[in-house]
Amino acid sequence: MRTDRIRLVIVIVAIFGAFLALLWPSEEQTYRGLAAIFQRIPLGLDIKGGARLEYRVDIDENVENPSEVIDDVWTVLRNRLDAAGYTEATVRKTFRENNSFIVVEIPAATDTTRAEKLLGSTGLMYFGQVIDESQIDPQNDPRLKDLAKLKKAEWLPSRDGKIWYLVRTEVMLVKDLKLVSPQIVSASPVPETRVGRFGYKVTFELSSKDSEIFKKITQQLVVPESAIGSSSSKEKRLAIVLDDVVQFAGYVISVIPDGKAEITGNFSLEEAKQLAAILRSGALPARLEKISAGWVAPLLGSDIVKTSLWAGIIGLFVVLIYMIFTYGVQGIIADIALVYNTFLLLGVLAATHSILTLPGIAGIIFTIGTTVDGNIIIAERVREELKSGKSVKAAISSAFGRCFITLFDANLTTIIAGLALYYFGTGTVKGFAITLIIGVLGSFFVNIVLSRLLTDALSSFIRKPAVEERGAQS
Amino acid sequence: MKKMDFVGKRKFFITISTILIVASVISMLAKGFNFGVEFTGGSEIILRVESNSFSESDVRTILQNISSDFEAARVTRVRSVGDPEGITKFSITLSKTFETEEKAKVQNSIEQQISTVGVKGQVISFNETGGSAAEEIRRLTWRSILITLAAVLVYITLRFNFVFGIGATIALIHDVLITLGIFSFTGYELNVPAVAAFLTLIGYSLNDTIVVYDRIRENMKKFKGKEISSLVNESINQVFRRTLNTSLTTFFVVFILFLFAGNAIKPFAFGMTIGVVVGTYSSIYIASPLVIKWVKSR
Repeated sequence: MRTDRIRLVIVIVAIFGAFLALLWPSEEQTYRGLAAIFQRIPLGLDIKGGARLEYRVDIDENVENPSEVIDDVWTVLRNRLDAAGYTEATVRKTFRENNSFIVVEIPAATDTTRAEKLLGSTGLMYFGQVIDESQIDPQNDPRLKDLAKLKKAEWLPSRDGKIWYLVRTEVMLVKDLKLVSPQIVSASPVPETRVGRFGYKVTFELSSKDSEIFKKITQQLVVPESAIGSSSSKEKRLAIVLDDVVQFAGYVISVIPDGKAEITGNFSLEEAKQLAAILRSGALPARLEKISAGWVAPLLGSDIVKTSLWAGIIGLFVVLIYMIFTYGVQGIIADIALVYNTFLLLGVLAATHSILTLPGIAGIIFTIGTTVDGNIIIAERVREELKSGKSVKAAISSAFGRCFITLFDANLTTIIAGLALYYFGTGTVKGFAITLIIGVLGSFFVNIVLSRLLTDALSSFIRKPAVEERGAQS
Repeated sequence: MKKMDFVGKRKFFITISTILIVASVISMLAKGFNFGVEFTGGSEIILRVESNSFSESDVRTILQNISSDFEAARVTRVRSVGDPEGITKFSITLSKTFETEEKAKVQNSIEQQISTVGVKGQVISFNETGGSAAEEIRRLTWRSILITLAAVLVYITLRFNFVFGIGATIALIHDVLITLGIFSFTGYELNVPAVAAFLTLIGYSLNDTIVVYDRIRENMKKFKGKEISSLVNESINQVFRRTLNTSLTTFFVVFILFLFAGNAIKPFAFGMTIGVVVGTYSSIYIASPLVIKWVKSR
């Protein structure tokens, strides 16, 4: 009985945790009624709709540090997506068989054309000259447009889109004094050491080929520190432009002869890292090969959720009723175990933020199967033990003892299969493997702990089958 | 329950299984599969039309108006119980992929062409997979199935013995081949969710087989020296009620899912429905009787 009390505590704590994970208040309210239970389980794009793009990152074989290249690609893509307003998008790096992949998922997007253009473009970076700036969108102001024409320059937005800079590629209108797609050998954030400054700065080094032009550019743009803020200095800022967005605009305070420069601006580490990454990777540092692209409309997704959910519920009910009819009290126990495990699984999914994909739903259904199966094995075994003449208590005890081994082997084999799938499968199959493993572990737990608890508690209702004549004779 | 003779008729059932496997392989070789675009590479467009009377040939006409590229397109109507009234969905499969800009053009022209016929239509999904990617997915899928089988073989060998491992693995291969054969024969789409069904099937059939094996193992200890075939038969009889009830309940779930679920889950549910039947059958009539033969000859 003491062990039963321990079981009870474990069972209550586990389901309490699951409900906590499921019902923890969240800001979004996408679902109503019964479906609200899914609120905290992120759904895969195959269910909720959205676009998914997968690229293979084609890295030169002689690159020294490929993982840095992948990180740079990641940063560039992330920047581009954010700048284009796709802030909900996720960018993931994955690796298979010595190949690196980047997977971009954009929820609710139904226009991959725009996203593909954005991501697939090789990107253009240059050092330009900032002539002027504006807080008003130049598109809405004809005077600003005219100014751009007059100065042979272009209005470009800043990273946050709040300021526009008038940028010219050709520095000081000197013919050919421009630095497009500069080769930046290295760039990294460094802690600021000068007195009166704090945070981080970014140092970078240009290739020797580009150093010469950069020297000339800095000669043209150099502004003594004391003159910063004067009207003449305002036309002499250096801009780092990537994909038509001004990533940085600042003053050149001394001529840089050797291509080794630093950008100061009291950056936070995060900002400095980002700027360094942009410098390193300006243009995409590797070619992206499109592996697959696709989108699913939310319309299709919601159809699937609705009908599948209903199908699942109907199926569940049929099983619940069948179990009561076939196994009586033990059927009711099985039903409780089944519902319990379903919520447990959903709770774990919510707590771990595992994404529920269609194959994942398949995994949940499989869980229904294994949980019911475990209970059937137990119920059958109890029946057998009772038939052999044991008392109800003894029968329950020895049945659970025997079933432990059966369930252990059966479930562990399934988990091994699940692990193999997880390690060697591709995306969607992985989602299936996760729900499968969690579900099978849960069903084992439920069978051994919850079912045992309930069977003990309800043992007085378990009827001893009339000893069959055959049994009596032997 | 009366004792049934499962083992005595094993030659009969092994023959039936062999015939089914041979038929499956023939169908796979001769007819092949209706692969989803994930496996072949290409594009799949799902079109949603607000009309009841729109047919496959209407879609085909529209496609031909757009480009001769579309002549080889496969158009199938996709429908599931629970779809809203007055809505028809079509799946259009093409073996080519599109350039970024082409894609938008294709989508627009399909929607435009439909509106000229006076029907409201909308492209609701556009998926493409590159050829090399498809090849990779194919390879990885096969590999994951094979590795799963190998891992299972090792585990069963450790926990039971090698003979049982072989028996279970053969039963699994048996199930996968026959289910694949049915996919091939019926022309049902074999896509990634369908593969998930195969993997589930592997797990399910295995579960079933292990339960029977476990009982055989237990009885082998209990009744040392008893003749193996009657021991196996006894074991199957002992767990038969369980096998039947488990299979029935699982069958309910997946069959209802097959009837009502949306298109994306249908291939999965179809695979599972067949898999449950085949998997149950194989653990009783194939996996266990196979073991008898080897245990005896050792």
